[in-house]
Amino acid sequence: MFVHYIDLGWRSLKRTPVVSLLMLLAIAIGIGITMTSLSVYHMMSVNPMPHKNDQLFAVQLRTMDQGVDWWTPDDLPFQLTYQDAMNLRKSPVPFRQAAMLKTGFGVKPANPDISPFIETARAADSDFFAMYEVPFAYGAPWDKAVDLQGEAVAVIGAELNQKLFGGGNNIGKDIVLDSVSYRIIGILKAWKLEPQIYDLNNGAWGQNEQLFIPFSLLPIQELKSWGNNNGWKYEEQKTYQDKLNSEVLWLQYKVELADKQAQQDYRDYLAGYIKEQQQLGRFQRDDAEGDIKNIAQWLDYRQIVSDDNKILVGLSFMFLAVCLANILSLLLAKFLKRAPEIGVRRALGASKTQVFAQHLVEVGMLGLAGGALGLVIAQLGLYLLRSGFSRYEAVAQMDLAMWLAAPTISLLACLLAGCYPAWKVCRTTPALYLKTQ
Amino acid sequence: MSELKPIFNALWRSKTGALLLVVQIAVTLAIVSNAAFIIHDRVTFLNQDTGLKDENLFRFNLYTFGKNVDIGQQQEVDETLLRAIPGVADAVVINQVPLSGSGDSTSFHLKPTPEQSRGARASFFMADEHLLNTLDVKLEDGRNFTAADVVYSEGFEKSASVVLVTRSHLLDLFPEGDGLGKTIYLGDNPFQVIGIIAPMKGPWLDDEQADNVALIPQVMAAPFKRVLVRTEPGRRDEVMQQVEKLLLASESERVVSRITGVDKLVLEQTSQDRLMKNMLLVLITVLLLVTALGICGLALFNVGRRTRQIGTRRALGAKKSDIVRYFLLENTLVSLFGIVLGVGLALAMSDVLMRHYSLPSLDNWFILYSLAGIYLMGLVAVYWPAQRATQISPSIATRSV
Repeated sequence: MFVHYIDLGWRSLKRTPVVSLLMLLAIAIGIGITMTSLSVYHMMSVNPMPHKNDQLFAVQLRTMDQGVDWWTPDDLPFQLTYQDAMNLRKSPVPFRQAAMLKTGFGVKPANPDISPFIETARAADSDFFAMYEVPFAYGAPWDKAVDLQGEAVAVIGAELNQKLFGGGNNIGKDIVLDSVSYRIIGILKAWKLEPQIYDLNNGAWGQNEQLFIPFSLLPIQELKSWGNNNGWKYEEQKTYQDKLNSEVLWLQYKVELADKQAQQDYRDYLAGYIKEQQQLGRFQRDDAEGDIKNIAQWLDYRQIVSDDNKILVGLSFMFLAVCLANILSLLLAKFLKRAPEIGVRRALGASKTQVFAQHLVEVGMLGLAGGALGLVIAQLGLYLLRSGFSRYEAVAQMDLAMWLAAPTISLLACLLAGCYPAWKVCRTTPALYLKTQ
Repeated sequence: MSELKPIFNALWRSKTGALLLVVQIAVTLAIVSNAAFIIHDRVTFLNQDTGLKDENLFRFNLYTFGKNVDIGQQQEVDETLLRAIPGVADAVVINQVPLSGSGDSTSFHLKPTPEQSRGARASFFMADEHLLNTLDVKLEDGRNFTAADVVYSEGFEKSASVVLVTRSHLLDLFPEGDGLGKTIYLGDNPFQVIGIIAPMKGPWLDDEQADNVALIPQVMAAPFKRVLVRTEPGRRDEVMQQVEKLLLASESERVVSRITGVDKLVLEQTSQDRLMKNMLLVLITVLLLVTALGICGLALFNVGRRTRQIGTRRALGAKKSDIVRYFLLENTLVSLFGIVLGVGLALAMSDVLMRHYSLPSLDNWFILYSLAGIYLMGLVAVYWPAQRATQISPSIATRSV
């Protein structure tokens, strides 16, 4: 029966080629535009580590003096001072924790054929790799002892390994960063974490570092921040030590907390820490407090998906609605025009359900074809985005969910639009049309 | 106007189709007026005057990793080399690049810390006496700084004592307009305001204080520096190609990176706004097209359905123009309902956008323009089917009855 309906649908569509084409174009363009903006939105709002959503937390402290506000909705700065990071590292509560900083070096390769280049790097504690499940091809992170002592060791990414040595196991070799030799103790497999949840300060995409060194090297190598430094009061900074002692906010701090109990314990710990610091004369404000946010909260808080993207998604769904209204009225007109023919079919014994099903199948075919064409349009739209706006290279993509969403949305939308016309036509009274024949 | 009643009755008999068209027109009006307003907002932002001829400027980063390099001295050598390249108008080693989307800003105050006093934030550019000429910004009042004003340092251990500012920044500090010659403070370091420069933008275009700019005659010797070069018009590309080789030949223990035209940096910085503008333009164009096709398609069907009726009217003496008028009037009636509903929808939508997405409130003129546009478009869309209706022969009325 279903095959027969498909045949009938195909004939019906062929009989009114212009209207069929108009409907096909309307649904295809609607789906194309909607899928383009929805794909960008979907890729932007993706949580890269959903399985650790309730374990990995960003730590924030309201460290400014009374009267100094931050621009965030909850008046908390994104980053921490060096002294707070060093103090928090001593907390026994978190299962894992890492202070970190985006920095960088001039790299002078041993191979004279490769000219020196700049490489951004992440100074982090050893827990970083386990927290973010960074895969190692060779070697391992540095020991916990290095987190306290500071030792010139480095973990390099697969790409950098390829660039410097042409790949392979190069554990034990040296890499010269700003004229200082670092021993390579680990080489990563190809790895990508986007959006880059551990540091969203300078863009969320395409920024994963290829070079990792111990955070404990900060005072030894006087590592500069290649990310944001946020100050809220004037402080003389003549030496590096001045910066370490300052109230400048320039470090990211993340903790891994195993369960709800640990989260509560850590919140209590932060409250206690603030009290302790207040006695030392810092955090001079009534509402000094700390907060932790999980991955989803952090992505939302940092507004990775811009308002513009949300508006575009909203507008494109409204656009799709207009396309559907369009299709609905065309279908209605078309089906009703066919009423005499349906009258004959009904008189010959076709049930209402059969007539209804027959028309829905026709609409469904239209929906699937429109969805397929819509996918092509969406791919074209995303291609134009990628080529015109380098920023969107990583997010102007379709993943499997979006590939499936396009025909699904198209089919459902068309069936929804087709219901009323099909219902209307199946209620045709046979007698009325038999008379005039 | 006597036709209105039969038209209304005819519409009422096929009210579903008419209602759908009303909804289509209403939603289209809501989307188009709001989108057109956002587009206008972005175009104004994108076309603003930055005060800089960015097509003649380019920048690059200079990162010295050699520990034995005398960075301060090398910077002087670099500047001399760059300024000697044919086609270069001027060049400076600088702390940040205008219009680049990243940089530093700080608050200047009327009194030194820790005294409380009026303050105003400005982005600050630090370079030697070639700075103003490199930017190609005019001096409006006072004097430019000279070689004697420039302070060379490692970090913040020394400080310059004079500053050039934009009028917007000076007015924030001295609303009376008498700031020239006065002293302002960065922390407890005093700076005398010796000149006012023509309006120019700092590093961020979307900054609330984008027009507040301060130029400080100080050069810090740091491993990581930026360099800003202005070339003669049309010669930027040839100069950009020479830079890296020239500088590395002078000192190889360093990396030259991100050699980029400043106009390109502006494009990068405004990509979100350009994207929004383009997407919305495509959206409303296609939307208008779809709505027009919808109107046209439905009218065509109606022509087909009413063949006999139209034939009869013609046979009874209606002129071709009467038939066309019927369709135009019918469309006007539907559009009218759609527009009334659409204006309400547009206002509601603007309210939602304003409340949740910090957009400015919709200018009512945009509703009016969109309304007129959509109505005209509807008339055009219905004209062709109406013309086809006039081709119906009056004899049809006599044939099949």
